[in-house]
Amino acid sequence: MIELDRIEDTANLLEVRDLSRFYTMGEVTVSALKNISFDIKQSEQAEFVAVMGKSGSGKSTLLHLLGLLDSPTSGQINSKGVNLLDLSESQKARFRLERFGYVFQEYALLPELTALENVYLPAMALGKKKEEYIKAAKEVLEQVGLGKRLYHRPREMSGGEQQRVAIARALINKPNILFADEPTANLDSTSSKQILELFQRLNREIGLTILMVTHEPDDKKYVSRVIWLKDGELAEQGM
Amino acid sequence: MFNNLKLSLFLAYKSITKGNKGTLFLTIFILSLIFINLVFIGSIFLGLTETINNQVINTLYGNVVIEPKKDEKYISDVSSIKQKIRNIPGVTGISAQYIIGAAFSYKDKSGAWSVRSINPDDEITVTTTHNFMIEGEYLSNLDTDEIIIGKEIAGGYGGDMEHLSLGGLKTGETIDVLFNNGVKRSYRVKGIFDVKFIQSNLNAFISQQEMESVIGMENSASQILIKTEDRGNEEKYIKQFLDIGIKEKINPWPVYSGIVKNIISSFDMIAMLISGIGLFVASVTIFIVVYMNTISKRRQIGILRAVGIEESVIINSYILQALFIVICGTGIGLLILLTVIKPFFVANPIEFPVGFVSLMILPEKVSINIISLLAVALMAGFIPSWMAVRETIIEAIWGD
Repeated sequence: MIELDRIEDTANLLEVRDLSRFYTMGEVTVSALKNISFDIKQSEQAEFVAVMGKSGSGKSTLLHLLGLLDSPTSGQINSKGVNLLDLSESQKARFRLERFGYVFQEYALLPELTALENVYLPAMALGKKKEEYIKAAKEVLEQVGLGKRLYHRPREMSGGEQQRVAIARALINKPNILFADEPTANLDSTSSKQILELFQRLNREIGLTILMVTHEPDDKKYVSRVIWLKDGELAEQGM
Repeated sequence: MFNNLKLSLFLAYKSITKGNKGTLFLTIFILSLIFINLVFIGSIFLGLTETINNQVINTLYGNVVIEPKKDEKYISDVSSIKQKIRNIPGVTGISAQYIIGAAFSYKDKSGAWSVRSINPDDEITVTTTHNFMIEGEYLSNLDTDEIIIGKEIAGGYGGDMEHLSLGGLKTGETIDVLFNNGVKRSYRVKGIFDVKFIQSNLNAFISQQEMESVIGMENSASQILIKTEDRGNEEKYIKQFLDIGIKEKINPWPVYSGIVKNIISSFDMIAMLISGIGLFVASVTIFIVVYMNTISKRRQIGILRAVGIEESVIINSYILQALFIVICGTGIGLLILLTVIKPFFVANPIEFPVGFVSLMILPEKVSINIISLLAVALMAGFIPSWMAVRETIIEAIWGD
């Protein structure tokens, strides 16, 4: 469906060029993001990038654009040589399913499904065999420390556990990048620490690239790079 | 394709089995009531039509009517015709009648009605009037000075044409009858009948023997009524009658339904209108249920789309849910109709002015209702879910 064969191993995982997003509200045009450019490299040591900035600085908008949940007003997003903004809506959906993982602030689990079902849903959508996706879902739930909570529904789990289910769901299809939008905002400090340590472990042990929006300055200690946004513009990159 | 359908089924199944049971049962219950309403109204109208048709056949004309040849007033050599017809398989009754107009007088009341003559032994093989005597007795072959009359002529029984009746004539009393040929006779009223059909209740009957003395003819008739063992095959019988050499005019009973045919057509139209309204209500109900469902699951729809589930999978899952509700609703509705409502109405038919009416549930009509509801479910499942996936993912997940 997507011509991934032409992807070069050396190409960047994400190349962001002059990305802008304006919102029109009546006769007023509000600029949420202005000319953002940066790369996320594909290297032996995967990156764990934090997008930081004050409230309203455009962090979440940037994450939504990079995760193909929203479309920019102008600019380019390439991934491994593929111009993602040229894809049709259904190609974008397929790309999100195959290549991206998402963790949202509010867990975003389906309440009618058990932890196991929530996790294997994206794998099922990929058309994998039942025994394969159940096995994979159990493994990944084991990996996030929920091996004993497979058949619990979201309402039967704590916030931290629900967020770990969301992480497991994001990992099931072995994504290239995991997008996390303030994943610890609704959690207590213990659960937050567990989630961030889990991210760090996944980044280091399985080489998962993570792009995380956070407003907690302390989170810097877990990541390899910080992209600072101020009033919708790239203010600074580095640690 | 197959995988997408599997995924839609999975989402629909989980939503149905793990979602709000109370809402689900209430929705299915409403759908079953809508289905019962659709079938019930149509079946009552069909039952009404059936009763009217039966009344026309059983109290007025039988299945086939033989009339005099063109330009002739009477059928001649009736006994020979009766003999020929009697041998045809499927013919269960034959009754020859003279019909003549007459003026009736009773005390200070008078009116004009038709008098029919019958051979009671023959007549009871064709019509059922003898079963509906509300006063007195039915005619016998030997009665020459007696008459039986319908309640609309007698009056006093709350008929629809009471104002034109003889105003309360009772059994045993005498009335004067002036036939159109000028012959005047007095008859003792032997019985009064009410077959629950106004056209039949406007008749009076005397014996064949008496009529022949009034008109001075023998072995003739104004019409010969023929009852067959089955309905709907009248044309087949008519062909057989023609084949055995009957030269008279032969017509099936619907030719005589006249105004009744118009009434039945009107009932059919009303039934169609009510069914249309019922289907509209059904579609609005299903639409609202699915719409509320999609609105309450707007965020979930956004999440599903965010993780890469195709829109068609989401839409199909809602269509499947709507189909499930409709299938359960119609299934339960059908069960209630066939095991409770139909047996009840068969045992307790409703008394309408045209007779006792029961439900007539025709499989083909029920099938049309089921197919229509399924089509409605497809649309009512599709439109709200399609509207829901038209939103941007951001609006669906984080919108107001």
